[in-house]
Amino acid sequence: MTRYFYDKRVREIFWQAALLLGLVATVVVIVRNASQNMVNAGMASGFDFLWRTSGIDVPFVLTSYTPDSNILALLWVGVVNTLVISFVSVVAATLLGFVIGVARLSANRLLSGLAGAFIEFVRNIPLLFFVLFWYFGVIAALPGPRQSIGIFSIAYLNNRGLTIPVPTEGSAFRIAAAVVLVGLIAQAAIAFWAKRRRDATGQIFPVWASGLALLAALPALAFGIAATVSPWDVPALRGFNFRGGFVLVPEFVALFAALTTYTAGFIAEIVRGGIQSVVKGQWEAAYALGLRPNRALNLVVIPQALRVMIPPLTSQYLNVLKNSSFGAAIAFPELVSVFVGSALTNTGQAIEIIAITLAIYLAIGLAVSGFMNWYNAKTALVTR
Amino acid sequence: MTTLRRGALVAAFALVAGSAGAQQLIPSPTLDAIRARGHLECGVHLGLPGFSFANDKGEWTGLDVDYCRALAAAVLGDANKVRYTPTSVQQRWPVLQSGQVDVLSRNTTITYSRNATLGVNFQGINFYEGQTFIVRTASGAKKPTDLENASICVAAGSTEERMAADYFRERNLKVSIINFQKNDDAIAAYDAGRCDSYTAGVGALAGQRIKLRNPGEHTIMTELISNDPQGPVTRWGDERWQAIVRWVLNGMIAAEHLGVTSKNVDEMRTNSRNAEIRRLLGADGNFGAMLGLDNAWMFNAIKQVGNYSESYERTVGKGSPLGLERGSNQLWTRGGLLFTPPFQ
Repeated sequence: MTRYFYDKRVREIFWQAALLLGLVATVVVIVRNASQNMVNAGMASGFDFLWRTSGIDVPFVLTSYTPDSNILALLWVGVVNTLVISFVSVVAATLLGFVIGVARLSANRLLSGLAGAFIEFVRNIPLLFFVLFWYFGVIAALPGPRQSIGIFSIAYLNNRGLTIPVPTEGSAFRIAAAVVLVGLIAQAAIAFWAKRRRDATGQIFPVWASGLALLAALPALAFGIAATVSPWDVPALRGFNFRGGFVLVPEFVALFAALTTYTAGFIAEIVRGGIQSVVKGQWEAAYALGLRPNRALNLVVIPQALRVMIPPLTSQYLNVLKNSSFGAAIAFPELVSVFVGSALTNTGQAIEIIAITLAIYLAIGLAVSGFMNWYNAKTALVTR
Repeated sequence: MTTLRRGALVAAFALVAGSAGAQQLIPSPTLDAIRARGHLECGVHLGLPGFSFANDKGEWTGLDVDYCRALAAAVLGDANKVRYTPTSVQQRWPVLQSGQVDVLSRNTTITYSRNATLGVNFQGINFYEGQTFIVRTASGAKKPTDLENASICVAAGSTEERMAADYFRERNLKVSIINFQKNDDAIAAYDAGRCDSYTAGVGALAGQRIKLRNPGEHTIMTELISNDPQGPVTRWGDERWQAIVRWVLNGMIAAEHLGVTSKNVDEMRTNSRNAEIRRLLGADGNFGAMLGLDNAWMFNAIKQVGNYSESYERTVGKGSPLGLERGSNQLWTRGGLLFTPPFQ
């Protein structure tokens, strides 16, 4: 019997099982205690409220939600809006951050100085200030509905947002989207083939040319055709504002601008650090092989820099996801705003709602970091 | 009989006599906690002129604040022994439920679902409010149905948020409702031009209008779309404390009805021959002691804060920048809705 105590494996399993059991027991005690206390205090509990009619009007909806839908549908509106704002902000912040990070290293004094000033400015200001600055800046800069800036008399920009026409019938657009997807796959296949051929023969295939055709010209054509054959709901001024079409609310624009510029400052520093982590000898070796500076950067330095950049980039992307909750400060209907804001006070079920919100952020966050870890493993140094 | 035995007998007799003499009260943990800490914890609005607003000297003023002061005067004998916890629309329930505040006096509409699911009780009505809209006068909108396609700023989680959505949906009018986390953010966005209108109760709008850059350019609609009775809120349990909260409010209304003011309260207590006034002010009977308070409880409240009318006129009525009429908040004897059960 005692020999099991000296078996390292058995001991490890024992302690891990004990820890797990303790953790589960703690959670069970907390949940039971909380629900009992809530019953005693006369507070409603349980998850039935999710199927209640929400009755809340949301100004920016990408799903089929209406105030007659249930609270679960309201939650889904929040999740979708959070994902959308996070995704577009991550993409834009990465692009802007790369440009600024590379500019920071430019030999041009003015360019690197401006990039440096931007980074220092952005990194030393709280995000909430940024969000409010952009929000009231956006509203102040735009005219009222009656003085709207018309764009070809189909789209209108004012301080209630950008009102754009939407097709009332979407089948042509679904076909166009499928065409774009096919183009995307074709381009990926070409890129894969071109890399194989380059590795084998050293010949370079102009991937950018096929990319231009498949990823820009083809979608433009497909959507162009879809747009001409579809019936449109064109916005028209009626009462206080435009009626019809889809409204891109200023809250979205302000939050997008704030998250993008703010995160770009941090990403720029990560990019700079990544590039500088590649030893000078690599540049010189690339030049010695006859590569021009652009190619040296793209083919030699950036692939090696990525390895250093990806782990900190992951945390920046997760920050964007979490920072999107600042939308609550400016009434952008993301997860915190609609669910923890409106739904919580309407139902009063704080514990359930906070738990659901935490679980959702955790799930999205883990998915993002899972993807980034996979990508990191792919770009990591393969030692032979 | 030894001295010891005699002593024990006397003690036992004293105990029996004592418990029979003093009225036995059900324990009130809230009241005990207030006495132990020496001040009342009162949840108020973040800042709404006329109701709960910290002035430039940092002193809280307003109708809801006056109620807290009256309650503190009744319980502790000093209207200044109150600590205010400013709460947002969302924070108000947790601070009350968790016991952080003893009472919530914060422009909170009494609704069925709040009473049924939040574990809170509404202890009476200190303000009959009705929801309406504020618009820029230049917009020409006169009534709520003129607001078609308008953007309306509102505080998320308020009764106004759902009421406005229901109102326009029922009439098949499309509006865009923008939900802010705080009343102040919503009113700031309205002022910045993000919205055509901001919606809240008439009294709240009168208070919020003062905060706008050019209050004169805005009009508050007269047509109401809801009835929003508001008053002090307590959590479930501790019935004695709930009764105290309820009857201090009743006492302020009764004082107005009986003509007792902060000016004449001393004279009334000594000279009045009206039985209800004498009971209310502790000149006769032991009304304070029945709930475990000093018999001068309402005397202190009225002397230090005033009756309902004095409080109303000073904070939201004609003596204030809000300049509201009494309207529904008038005594039942003068055509209003304000009512109190008798002090008998």
